Amino acid sequence: MSWFMGIDIGSAYSKGAIIKDFQLVASHIVISGANYRTSAETIRTELIRQTDLTHDDIGNTVATGSGADNVYFAGRKASDIVCTARGINNVFPQVRTVIDVASQSTRVIRLDEKGIVTNFAVSEKCAAGSGRFIEVIANVLRIDLSDFDALAARAKNPITFSTGCAVFGESEAITRISEGIAKEDIAAGVNEALASKISSLVKKLKLEEPCAICGGGALNTALVKTVESGLKITLLVPPHPQVVTALGAAIIAATSANSEPREEVEPANTGP
Amino acid sequence: MTKVVLIDKSDNQLSCIKGPTGPEHRRLANEVMRQALQQASLQIDDISYIIATGYGRLNVPFADRQITELSCHARGVSTLFPGVRTAIDIGGQDAKCMRIHDGRLISFVMNDKCAAGTGRFLEVTATALGIKLEDMGDISLKATKRIHISNLCTIFAQQEVIALLSRGEKPENIVAGLHDALASRVAALARRLGIEPDLVLTGGVAKNIGMVRAMKDSLGCEVLVPEEPLITGALGAAILAKEIYTKAVEAGQVLPTKSRRLEKATFFAEEHR
Repeated sequence: MSWFMGIDIGSAYSKGAIIKDFQLVASHIVISGANYRTSAETIRTELIRQTDLTHDDIGNTVATGSGADNVYFAGRKASDIVCTARGINNVFPQVRTVIDVASQSTRVIRLDEKGIVTNFAVSEKCAAGSGRFIEVIANVLRIDLSDFDALAARAKNPITFSTGCAVFGESEAITRISEGIAKEDIAAGVNEALASKISSLVKKLKLEEPCAICGGGALNTALVKTVESGLKITLLVPPHPQVVTALGAAIIAATSANSEPREEVEPANTGP
Repeated sequence: MTKVVLIDKSDNQLSCIKGPTGPEHRRLANEVMRQALQQASLQIDDISYIIATGYGRLNVPFADRQITELSCHARGVSTLFPGVRTAIDIGGQDAKCMRIHDGRLISFVMNDKCAAGTGRFLEVTATALGIKLEDMGDISLKATKRIHISNLCTIFAQQEVIALLSRGEKPENIVAGLHDALASRVAALARRLGIEPDLVLTGGVAKNIGMVRAMKDSLGCEVLVPEEPLITGALGAAILAKEIYTKAVEAGQVLPTKSRRLEKATFFAEEHR
């Protein structure tokens, strides 16, 4: 059997990937919703439909993400840190640092040429350090998350948030709206606030280039540009930034099925 | 909230009014002042000296002087509780812990950086639970267990609350857990300063009986609460105003005062728009 599946159940979105010969052949994303089990099933059904396979064609499935326990049909679970590293290594073998901007956390992972994690830092205690900050402000601005990017790119005078808290930031955005500040400038201000938190997390680990960015945050090109100018580097963005971790899970499914155990011990977190 | 306290020369409260602040009302301290004068049956010209305090203290055009909320809180709390050594004020925007000696502020620590250490934590999670903020205290008294809230961030805790509800947990047990979470954070802040009794709790959060109990458990000491926990800052400002004015009169000085016109505040930036 040469087909393998990875399922990544996150707090906001659930992602799935199927690989054949270590190449991504199908991917699917759904909103995680209240029932992670249903989300996992929906993804599997859709991936199998896309590839014209049957359940029996899938050699092995690996689950990851905060809701990995709900993927009852997975052969095993794997750490999302390890999966993201394997996934980015598959897309960009040259990458030595990857930044994953997700809804509930931001993770910076250092990896070697084989995709083995050498160090990582996680920010997951505070919504202002994750993609959630953007979701919160997009909601206040009454704009769709997919339009946020284009809106922020049009900013002339990005505002500076006086707070590092997403809840206080929400009130501040409302005050700025009532003062007549343009939505563009508020959106760009959030990108700057988040980018500066991402930069400080990156600086906790010694940044080694090339560096890639993935996760839902990587779809926000205005954010990517802000992070690039803050860190004074160029970031590689994979074609499907949200499914990198699911792709990594599929790769682990393939490698562990071929009995090539290369599972490193997860290093100690250098985060706070 | 904007609060006005008027006192006479013997420290009797003549009026005490609370009105909304909010973004659009922050120019309207004059409205709350008008109501306070009405309650005391006084004219603005009858007021000898006016001190403004709080975040918006510069938005009160008729105030003669501005004094920080920390000094005013310390003064207000020690007027009500002369034995106070530690005062904790938890509002919707910040939490302040003050060490007080003989009515004077000795030192303080505050959190205005993270909503999870302020009353805002309860406001946001109450919305998620679909209950009113002012009902949280009574609801928590019915708790049969106290659910540990694992997320620190208010936004993530809001999501956790929804997940707990969908798991079938009782709202009262969740509310008790939310109280414990906030109380333990504020207690940790207070411990940085050192806790010495008598300890007084003020601010909107002090109106929540469940929070007062949770603070007592987290701090491990008695918690005193004034009858009207929202107005200690304004009360302190009024007492300081009386003291400053009396001292000047005794010294034969004339204090400069602002025009006694009740106008809404204007801002420098607006004039140049």
